[in-house]
Amino acid sequence: MAPSGRDFYTLLGIPRNASTDQLRRAYRQAALRLHPDRNDNPNDTELFLSISQAYETLIDPGSRQEYDQQLAETESKQAGKASFRAQVLQSRQSLLALDEPQVHYMLLDLSPRGGLKHVRPPVNLAIVIDRSTSMKGQRLDQVRSATLEILRSLEPNDSAVVVAFSDRAEVIVSPDQAKDLPAARARMSLLQADGGTEIGQGLRLGLQELQKNFTREGVNHLVLLTDGRTYGDEAECLAMAGSVAEHGITINGVGIGGDWSDRFLDELASSTGGSVLFLDNPKAITGLLDGILGTLSKVVASRMQLDGSLSQLVDLRSAFRLLPEPTILGDTLPLNLGNMPQDTPIRVLLEIVIHPIGQVGSLPLAHLTVSGDLLGPSAEQQSLPVAIEIPVSEQPDTEPPPGPIAEALAALALYRMQDKARHEAELGQSSQAARRLESLATQLLANGQRDLAKAALNEAENLAKSRRLSTEGEKRLKYGTRALLLPARAGGPNLDD
Amino acid sequence: MIECPNCKHQEFVGTLFCSECGGRLVHVSPMPTVNISREDIEDEAQATRPKVPEGPSLASGALLGLRLLSSGEIISLVGRDNFTLGRAVEGQAVIPDIDLGRYEAYDQGVSRIHAEIRLAEDGVFLVDLDSINGTLLNGRPVETQQPLPIRHGDMLQLGRLRLQLISRIRAER
Repeated sequence: MAPSGRDFYTLLGIPRNASTDQLRRAYRQAALRLHPDRNDNPNDTELFLSISQAYETLIDPGSRQEYDQQLAETESKQAGKASFRAQVLQSRQSLLALDEPQVHYMLLDLSPRGGLKHVRPPVNLAIVIDRSTSMKGQRLDQVRSATLEILRSLEPNDSAVVVAFSDRAEVIVSPDQAKDLPAARARMSLLQADGGTEIGQGLRLGLQELQKNFTREGVNHLVLLTDGRTYGDEAECLAMAGSVAEHGITINGVGIGGDWSDRFLDELASSTGGSVLFLDNPKAITGLLDGILGTLSKVVASRMQLDGSLSQLVDLRSAFRLLPEPTILGDTLPLNLGNMPQDTPIRVLLEIVIHPIGQVGSLPLAHLTVSGDLLGPSAEQQSLPVAIEIPVSEQPDTEPPPGPIAEALAALALYRMQDKARHEAELGQSSQAARRLESLATQLLANGQRDLAKAALNEAENLAKSRRLSTEGEKRLKYGTRALLLPARAGGPNLDD
Repeated sequence: MIECPNCKHQEFVGTLFCSECGGRLVHVSPMPTVNISREDIEDEAQATRPKVPEGPSLASGALLGLRLLSSGEIISLVGRDNFTLGRAVEGQAVIPDIDLGRYEAYDQGVSRIHAEIRLAEDGVFLVDLDSINGTLLNGRPVETQQPLPIRHGDMLQLGRLRLQLISRIRAER
């Protein structure tokens, strides 16, 4: 095993049944990128050394066979002692032997193994508040009182810091003051709206404060509340999020009103395994922050990650986390899944494309590794290998797809229609977008989502009038349809046992 | 590829929901949609019913179709069980289900509401709806408002516009 815990195949980014040619190509590409002669980053040198080691082991058939055997043993050992369980559901019980591409869905439920004792972990929380001029009035008032409410419900082991930013950032409530409510209240009353929105400033200070009180035993989380868009520092913010995600810090974004950049915030939050919440009514903010704290106090493991490699002929098309919070995860492994709650599984939906397979008896789809840090004094990293295989047959599988998959895909279809309509509106194809929104509204009505259906129709009307979507409406549709991804029986019994 | 029955969008085999209209694809056959050439169907039709006058079958999922003799074009009759034939004129209160306007129906003497094809339990019927220039079935005038059974391959003439019925319903009368 490589020091990072990734197996050689994952390290090189190749399938387990890769040919020698593929292996060579992958190594050459990595070398071009990471060779010390070209690259000064010391971490990359280390990575390059492990990749070289991986290559040398795998290129020789004898040592590759030996390694494969060793890998299989390590994995079965890991599987035996891992504290996680993984259940896999597939949309079909068998693939068709076809010479054209086909789509397949896999639903992974990752949960802590039974008997794992749960103690409420200490929460290390940073609340980063946008204090730009647009927050003036009700928005900032509600944020202020909601924040105080959260500080009140903290437990003695917890720590919290409140940071506010406009063009620059400052600590409003320090961790010491956070434990002294009258002092915190006095400090919060100093929070006045003024200036622009530079998310980078707030994020940097918030993360710095979070790292000061970093706890291996508990959860480390940042909540970013904003109502505006940041200009020019997006890349910097994403880089910051990426580097703290490696330490298990998660970020939740809360967008207020219609003028914030949802795409940026989505990318920022999901790169850490966090999620974004849309708030059209500032009054809801107390409940929302409360919910976040509640979720954090149920975490049993952090830094959950899905890594590994897909087989040859298999491509990941998209990935979604359905539980605990619906999030779009992107289409490259590893996927950061954030924190694992004690009472609900992390449910991930993978959409894969299988290229023409021809005549084979069965097809290995993926060798995945679920890894994460169990919270607690020992704070150990755990990993669980998951190999997924599927039979291939000449006859189509007539079984209907499993309920949870069908349900998730039905919701996903609606989310994607909304996404497509928005895309079309942005390209200026407003009549096509309006038609799509109308058929989305029909589908939403059929699903009993009257409010969302109405929002979709409103936007279709907006398109007809002004040839564009309203900024608030497009977010309402996006996060409204995304929320439908949440399984109806959330928290209920597991898939099939 | 498989085809969405609702919007005809093409999707990969294994897809459960159409990415275009959001419709569920579960009831669609899990096998790829195959295009069968017209000759194959014709051969099959010949084999099953050799005595029927020559006429091609339908490529789409429709049970009934009308072939224009002048151009060979086929109008599929889908989605209902009775179809009025005629030509739509602007401002007309009742418009026919099948508008023959673009096949020079006016010049051929087709009435606005000329005839009807009815799909009933016991077969397919032709009814003339008091047309000015009358309707012929296989060359013989049809009495108005009187349903007449018709079958695959029969020739219909509305005014001078000649159509051939194509039917997948193979029940004997």
